[in-house]
Formats: sequence, structure tokens, C-alpha cells
Amino acid sequence: MAGLAQVFGFGAMTNHQNDIRNSRSVMIIGMNPAENHPISMQHILTAKEVNRAVIISVDPRFTKTSAFANIYCRLRSGTDIPFIYGLINIILANGWEDKKMVNERTYDFEALKAEVAKFDAATVADITGVSKEQLFQVAKAMADNRPGTVIWAMGGTQHSNGTAVVRTYCHLQLVLGNMGRPGGGCDVFRGHDSIQGVTDIGGGPETLPGYYGIAETAWKHWSKVWDVPYEWMLSRFKSKEMMEKPGFTVARWYEGVLLDPKELGQDTNIKAVFFMGHSTNSMSQMDRVKRALEKVELIVDFDPFVTNTAVLPDRTDGIYVMPAATNYEQWCSSTNTNRDLQWRQRVVDPVFEARTDLAILIDLAERLGFKKQFIKNMKGSWKGVPASMKEVKALPEQTIDDVLREVNMGTLSIGYIGQTPERLKRQQQWAHVFDIKTKKAVGGPVDGEQWGLPWPCWHDKHPGTSILYRTDIPVAQGGSGFRALWGPKAPDGQTMLAAEGSAPAGGPNAGYPAQKEYATDLTRGAIKEAMAEGRHPYGNGRARFNSWNIPDPVPTHREPIHSPRPDLIAKWPTYDDVKEHYRVPQPYKSMQKPEWAKQYPIVLTTGRIVELEGGSAAERADWWLVELNPEMYVEIHPKLANDHGIKNGDWVWIESPEDMDGKPSRIKVKAKVTKRVGPDTVFLPYHWGGVFEGKSLASKYPEGTAPYSVGESANTVTNYGYDRVTQMQETKTGLCRIKKA
Amino acid sequence: MALTTARMKFYIDAKRCIECGGCEVACKNENNVPQGIARIRVVTVNEGQPGETNIAVPCMHCSKAPCVAVCPVDALYTRPDGIVHVNKETCIGCGYCLYACPFGAPQFPKGEPFGARGVMDKCTYCAGGPDEPFSEKERRFYGSNRIAEGKLPMCASVCSTKALVAGDAEEVAKVVRARAVARGSGVGAWGWETAYPTGPRL
Ligand code: SF4
Repeated sequence: MAGLAQVFGFGAMTNHQNDIRNSRSVMIIGMNPAENHPISMQHILTAKEVNRAVIISVDPRFTKTSAFANIYCRLRSGTDIPFIYGLINIILANGWEDKKMVNERTYDFEALKAEVAKFDAATVADITGVSKEQLFQVAKAMADNRPGTVIWAMGGTQHSNGTAVVRTYCHLQLVLGNMGRPGGGCDVFRGHDSIQGVTDIGGGPETLPGYYGIAETAWKHWSKVWDVPYEWMLSRFKSKEMMEKPGFTVARWYEGVLLDPKELGQDTNIKAVFFMGHSTNSMSQMDRVKRALEKVELIVDFDPFVTNTAVLPDRTDGIYVMPAATNYEQWCSSTNTNRDLQWRQRVVDPVFEARTDLAILIDLAERLGFKKQFIKNMKGSWKGVPASMKEVKALPEQTIDDVLREVNMGTLSIGYIGQTPERLKRQQQWAHVFDIKTKKAVGGPVDGEQWGLPWPCWHDKHPGTSILYRTDIPVAQGGSGFRALWGPKAPDGQTMLAAEGSAPAGGPNAGYPAQKEYATDLTRGAIKEAMAEGRHPYGNGRARFNSWNIPDPVPTHREPIHSPRPDLIAKWPTYDDVKEHYRVPQPYKSMQKPEWAKQYPIVLTTGRIVELEGGSAAERADWWLVELNPEMYVEIHPKLANDHGIKNGDWVWIESPEDMDGKPSRIKVKAKVTKRVGPDTVFLPYHWGGVFEGKSLASKYPEGTAPYSVGESANTVTNYGYDRVTQMQETKTGLCRIKKA
Repeated sequence: MALTTARMKFYIDAKRCIECGGCEVACKNENNVPQGIARIRVVTVNEGQPGETNIAVPCMHCSKAPCVAVCPVDALYTRPDGIVHVNKETCIGCGYCLYACPFGAPQFPKGEPFGARGVMDKCTYCAGGPDEPFSEKERRFYGSNRIAEGKLPMCASVCSTKALVAGDAEEVAKVVRARAVARGSGVGAWGWETAYPTGPRL
């Protein structure tokens, strides 16, 4: 997400899944939609059948998706950048680049050219394992079959240089001219329900809703929206400095519990942790998570099922399990990977003691003494939030209307304006009139609207923007240029505004800066003014090959922290250590030890399988799913298995260098011998929990709540490593060794 | 819309199935299928290698069902709409149908041969059984009756990729043809010729 934002201006999928039906080539890199986004395969397979689209699968594993690809490239995990640069190199050498796109709508192509020149096909083959011939075949297929889309997921981002990897995917699409057109785009698929929505409303520790950041101006804007004095908001924090300092991330919060406060970016340790629908078995460094859960004073686990969190720590008190309502038991609006919003209907009242998310949060605010401020914008014509929330399980549908209305009011930056509760409910009634390929309504009261009113949607008549950065249609119909986010000029003096002749149809035919105060003017006057002139409120700028404000302005290859190639570490080392990142120290070079490749010679990669999802407290408690995939396993290539005397179904130990503690971590799992992985790599699904280093924790579940299947967590052995920008964990590339148990 | 009586068929598109298991889970949940029984099963060949192919196998409800032909007690019968059902009160659990079926559809629970489910169990096309539609007895012996509700079988309704298509023969044939035209070759309609032979059959 950060990678996309640093190139184009927004951290979101640019096109939509249905739009893949317009693609003539589809590169699927670092993702396995057949297991993780099964429905999207409908669109991908339709493109393959109807457009004869070339499907290219690039992955360390021959996945269930790879089975449908015309070209499959087995890439060494963590070497995406050399692979993509190798492609760009071939494209440039043959003059296949889109010169108009590059000249008129991008910044600093020269810098990119200089970097990709280092990656000739032989160098790429050495680093990635993809042959010269295959690299050429892929480059030519992408060049010959435009428009094409590049789609990815966590395989691209869960690396110490994940943000840089994503930027190179974007660069490839810019060079091919695949941006801003149907069938093209950078189509990252988000992996959980409404995770795009969570990012949009400020789920990260470095921003308020709508990507405003956490500087004073951002706090002032949102204080105005929330109708509370800025001074009151400030008074809730220890200091202005702490108010404006990014917090801990979900990837490393436990270091805030474990490390000496002297090493932290705050002067006390974390004392309490509140989990709301998040599982600990999807976090790396499980033994450190365990120790943090043992040390922290208070744990609350708010979830429909009892999760790994409740049984992992060895402690007898201070841990509270609270039953949460499922999505069937509450109304909500959600935002999917396409940036589409949908209204969700409640099907049943919350069962047993379950409570809805909103009821819990308001109750929490009540107990912490700021309920009045928290619900200030709940102004519906209904009876209102009860004076005491103590016994309340659920609130009326109108409270959710009010939540969305508040989002509509404040989130001007990315155009969360026209997705009003009324329009979303109307779309729900008229879902059948939307076209499957364009997502556009034909007739009825929703005529011309895009399904889900994808953001930006600038007012309550705007159809939404189903494809970002598209200049062939007017702004009023969902057209836009690249976001002019970085001012009119780059530090080197070059213009950051699009060239003459490259602008959304019907407005000024050139680049222009963002409309002044469009994101903070709550009267929406600034937005109206821009729309009236056919200009896009966020301006018409250039996409960046050079993101000067972040590490590696032009991405370059860096070996994973745990690389199996000591020779390449010397040439392409990781980053220098960082003293403080999201309040914790983040070492890089001092953790990259070339000798590990000898002790732990096998690449360890992790991912998902179709039967289970995330930490899978719910799925492993479902008999039908457990029947299909009953136990935790490791995928091992027949050669590797035979070399270790391991047969299919044998128990094996997987051991990894546990760098932060200097002791190896290990898990005991069943071997699944398969050619899905190459002989140098093993794969672990990360959904299991309830067993730790060979010891079952099943007896620790409260009576009757243990799932049907418990198993070792892959994340007990995933290695240290975090993205230089977002702190995303490097769980796609690590090292390990295996032993027959 | 054809004026003749509907004739139900399955189209199993081997070029589309991704082995997501949605059909298997939905079937079990809808019909409360006991553990160890699979009324539909996804089979994968060449797993993890080029040529990996998945095939979802329910009962195909064949036009001239060999199971019906071999059943010694006439527990199996073909309904006017082509759906093949078993009457569990007549079935003696002999297993002849299992040998006759080209798709391995008949299922026999291990352990309790004389229980309510001890006799042969198979895909009902989500059309219940010989008992009163929506009755408790039908639900317990055979599962749900979506056909009587005007709905399609659960597996086809949830299929992620529309690899599994169910419905009236003519409508299904349209889908088969459209995909064949788009692909220009191999329809991928696995088992189609076996289940629904066009020519005379011995
Ligand atoms: S639901 Fe469809 S795609 Fe999934 S396994 Fe069944 S037939 Fe295959």
C-alpha cells in the first residue's frame, strides 16, 4: 500500500477485480488467488478464455494458480526487484516502452533507467533463478498483449524491502503504459474482509482517517469533524510530541512490552493489549509474542472464537476473553479491495453474550470517561445511545448510518463523500442492474453509478472511480490523473505536474496542482469549485520513479536479511540499522549474518491455504473445513525429503535461527512431500495455533472452546525482518533446517 | 425457454475448477452430511506440477443411469426431471451401484450398516428424496430440498469459478457451448459423454 502511495499518490488497488475481464495479459506475482481470492479466478479465467489473455505466474511455489498459467516462473523468494528490472531492461532495449505515458505523466525516468541497467539477463538469472529465455518470454508477452494487469498480494510485501518491491511493480506498469486504462493497472488484492476500509479509516499507527497523517493540521481537521476542541484532544496525550509520534505497529508491538524503555521511543513499557479480531499466530517471532503476553499486565481478546492468544502465554490471570458478534449479527459498511463500499445487513441478533464492535467501543469509551465526545456525531432521529452501555449488546442500524456519515463528512482527502448510507442501501436493492465487466449500472434509480461507489466519489451524484488515474473520461464520470501529492516541483526543480495534453477529459488540458484546502474545507466548497471546472480536486500530477522522501528513492535490490546466498549479501546488502522505527529499534545489517546460510541452508516461506483464513480460530472450529485439511504440515520437495530420509506423512522438526534471543526456535509438523516447492525451499501455512514447540496447548482452552484442529504456528519459526518503510514482517523469506523427528 | 419438461444436468468444467472446496463444504453444511461421507468430492491430478487439474465429482444423474439398472431391489430410480434418487428404506446396502457407477458417487458409511444412514447415500441434486418435500423425515434421510424451493443445488450455487454448472439441460448446454467457442478447443466437460451419451447406449 505504501509502495503504491509513494508512486501514484494513493495506497490502493488502481483497477478492480472484474476489470481483469478486459486484460490481455495478467501477471500474478507473489500471490495465489486460486486459494486466497477464489472468486477473482472467475475474472482471471474469463480473461484467459475470452481474450486469450496470457496468464503469467511468478512465485517460489508452483501454486494452484500456477496450474492455470501459460507461463510459470519459479522465482527465489525475495528477488522480485531483479526480476522486474530484468523485464524493464528488455522492454527498453527493444523500444517497447510507452513513451507518451513516460514523458507526460511520470517523474525521473532517467533515474530508473540508470538503475535497471545494472540488471542484465545474466545477473537476473543468477539472483532469481529465472532463465534468460524465460525472462524474455515474459517481457515480450507483456509487451505484445496490452492492456495487461499486474496483481500481487503478501508475496510482494512481506519482505524487508516490500515497499520497494511494490514500487517496481508500479514502475513496470508505467513503462508499459498500462496505467489508467481498463484491463491494466496495479491490482494488489487485499487479503481480509474490509481491510482496505481499515486502512482508509486510519487503522495504521501513523495516520488519522483518510491518510491525513498525525501532524497538528491533521488533528485539527479531525477535531473539527468530531466536534471536539483541539485542546481537549491534546489534553488526552502525554505531550504534543507523543501525540504526533507514530505508535507501535501490529508487527512489533510486543517489543514495546519486552524491551528496556531506554531502547524505546517512549518512556514506559506497554501495559495492556486489546485484540479486536486479530490473531497472534499471524505475527512473526512467536516466542517473543508469547513472552510479551506473559509480561504485559492486561490482555483482552475480543473475538467470536477463543484464539491462540488466550492459550499461548503461561499465565493464570489478567486475560479476558470477550465474545464478539460476527458480521451476520451486526450492520456495517465495508470497503473491499476494489475500493468499493457495500452495506451489510444484520441477519440475526447477536447470540449468547456476543456484543457488536460498536457496542463494545462505546462501552469502552464510557468506562474511560469520553463517551460524550466519542458519540458526538450520532445525531440520528432515533432514540439514541443509552446512558449506560453496560448491558447493551447491539445498537440500532441508524448508529451505523451515523458512523458512515461521519466518515463521509471528514474523509475528504480520498473522496469518501458520496458513499452515503442511503446510496449504499439503494445499491444493495438494485445489485442486479450492475454489469459484471464494467461494474456500471444500466437503468433503474442507480443508472450510471459504479458498483460500490469506489473512492474517490466526490459528491452524492458522483458515480465513483472504479479505475484510478484514467484520463480518457471527465472527472464527473470518474476520470483522474495521478495525484499531485508532492507539490508542483521536485527537489531537483523538475515539474511534478502532468504535461500539456495529458489530463482528464473536459477540464484544463494540462497538469495542475491540488485544489487548495480541498481535503480540509468541510463545506466542500473547494471540491465543488474544482468539479465545476472539470478539474480533479487532488490535482493532475506525475507518478514517481524516484520517491525522494523514502529510503532507496529508486528501488534497488537488497538481499533478504536471511539470505541463502552469502555471495550476494556482499554485493546487495540489506539496509543500515535503524535506531527507531515506530518506537522500536530496527536493526538490519547487524542481523544479516552470511554464516547462517551454512547452518540453515533452506529457504522458509509461508502463506495461506484455501480452507483456512488468517489465524483461523473460526475455521479450525468448523468441522467441514477441518475434515478437508485436518492438520498442520510442511511442503517439502521429494529431493530434499529423500536427502533427509523423510517420507510423506513423517513428523519433522523445522528449526530456524531465532536471532533476537540467540536460541533457535523449532516446530514439529507433518511432512507433505510435493513438487509445489523447489528443492531449496519449504513452505508452511500459517493458520494453525494451539501447539508450541512440540507441546499441545489444547487443555488450556476454556471448556468446550478448543478448535477441532490445533497445530504448530508457522510464525514460531519465521525469522526476524521488517519492511524498511511500513514495518511489515519479512515472513515470505527466511532460513531454516529440517530434521526427521 | 424450452416447452418440454426440464431435464437436470451437471457440467463439470475441468479447465476451471480451482479445488477451493467450496462445493464440498456447502454440500455438507446444506445436507448435514455425516462425517466420512462425501456427496461431492474434488479430485486433483498432477498436484503441484504442470498439468495439475481438478475435477469436482458429484453424482452426475446420468441419462441412462447404470446404478438404476443394477439395483436388485429398485431402490434407485430416475425422476421425470432426470434426477436419480435412492430410497433409503428400500436399499439393502448391497453395493452393486458402487461397482456400476463410473463416477464413484454411491457412498457407504462405515461402521453402522443398519443405521438411518447405513444404507447407500449419494448426491440428491439437493432435491430431497421420495418422502414428503420439506418433511422432517426427508430432511433427516436425504437433506435439503432446494429444487422444490425453485433453487439450484448448493454446490453449483456457491462455485467460485462457475466450474460446476447445474440446471436444465438446455441452459447448461448453452454454457458448455459458449466456453467451447471461447476456448476454440477442448471443452473440459469432464464426464459429460459418459453421463449424457448422445447416441444409443447398450
Ligand atoms: S466450488 Fe467450484 S471451483 Fe471450488 S472446488 Fe467446487 S467445483 Fe471446483
